[in-house]
Amino acid sequence: MTTDLAVVSRARSGDADAFRMLVESHSNAAFRVAYRMTGNEHDADDVVQETFLRAYKQLQHFEERANFGTWLHRIAVNCSLDLLRARSRADKHYGGDPESAELAGAAGARSEAQQDRLMMSVELQAQVAAAMERLSPSERTAFILRHFEGMPVEEIGKTLGIQVNAAKHTIFRAVRKLRDSLEPLVRPTACNT
Amino acid sequence: MQHLTEEQLIGHYYDDGDALADAHVGSCDECRSQLDTLRDVLALVNHLPIPEKSEAYGEEVWTRLRWKLGNGRRRARVWGTISAIAAALALAFIGGMFWHARTQQIQQPATVVAHNTPPASAAAPASNSSSSSRDRLLLVVVSDHLDSSERMLLELSNADPKQPLDVTAESKRAGELVASNRIYRQTATRRGETRIASLLSDLEPVLLELSHSGSTLSPDEIAALQKRIDAKGLLFKVRVVSAQVSGQESATNSKTKGTNSL
Repeated sequence: MTTDLAVVSRARSGDADAFRMLVESHSNAAFRVAYRMTGNEHDADDVVQETFLRAYKQLQHFEERANFGTWLHRIAVNCSLDLLRARSRADKHYGGDPESAELAGAAGARSEAQQDRLMMSVELQAQVAAAMERLSPSERTAFILRHFEGMPVEEIGKTLGIQVNAAKHTIFRAVRKLRDSLEPLVRPTACNT
Repeated sequence: MQHLTEEQLIGHYYDDGDALADAHVGSCDECRSQLDTLRDVLALVNHLPIPEKSEAYGEEVWTRLRWKLGNGRRRARVWGTISAIAAALALAFIGGMFWHARTQQIQQPATVVAHNTPPASAAAPASNSSSSSRDRLLLVVVSDHLDSSERMLLELSNADPKQPLDVTAESKRAGELVASNRIYRQTATRRGETRIASLLSDLEPVLLELSHSGSTLSPDEIAALQKRIDAKGLLFKVRVVSAQVSGQESATNSKTKGTNSL
């Protein structure tokens, strides 16, 4: 990260090559967080681009003591959140986005045959993706931040602009929804006894 | 024995430091079993694959990003000129197509009378091909127009709302886009492309405002424009419609190729 600091300093002074180095070294990480949050490869690509655009414009506000990766990660989360909110508004306007659900299911099916994808059948992936799709934008974001990013609930509250308790409940709601959708897959029968 | 609530179980899973809940799970089979189920459910989510990007991904992102960064003014001037030329060409082309279509409509009855029995099979493809050319043309120009508009909206959305912004070039570009926007909106409405027409109608006030903004946008003006773009979900809509238009465009192209090859 010391290297990042030196490169960030150069980028701040207008060195385009330095910014290119930052883009090249952090794009994959930004894509991963964007994909987890949006559940859609195309959206994630857009988020990555916007993340770097925003980072470039705000580079002067970056505190050199901070970690560039963490800072960029926060921007990627915010960009994803913006996109999810905009999508949710557009869904209301256009009466739903069938493409999203399809994409979520197809995200795995569009597979490049990697090892980890083989761990689940395509059908199972589609069901998990569909369960994630059922989360509201804020539930999805709160869950991703807690579950995958290990962000403390207080931080999640700040990111979403809500109280800690509300953030906690948002995570609970998300987990409960996922559990409702996915429990039959891990526990085939639930007897009424 | 009081079992853990679902919230406590979830809190325990995420290790939120509730000592009582931790102790309870250690001694209660029922709650441990609930916790195991929760673990299994969340393990499924853990394995949801993320598409693997190649090592060149960073480079690809940079290639797409490069033109948007720095040298903005010079680039904006070039884009302004290109947009103006493109808009003029598109206008001339659309005008030509409509003129051509109208002339054909006027001439066709005369031809019918002259030949008495017009070969229907020959007339239909001609009219289809003319209509499909117009469709294709509309899609091409709208697609370019949406690309330019998207770039402009993106620049505005990413502007720092705490500082004034020099928009001399952008304002000029917006003026050119307003003119073409009107034409495309009217054409789309006439051709029944309601989604495109509705988007262009949302886009117009923003372009208009920017074109009238002069050389500098104050922080308040930037914030107002950003709010407007955000409130209408404009950037997202532009992307959605743009993607659809590109899809339609390729479909129309392949359809035309197919027809031509018959």
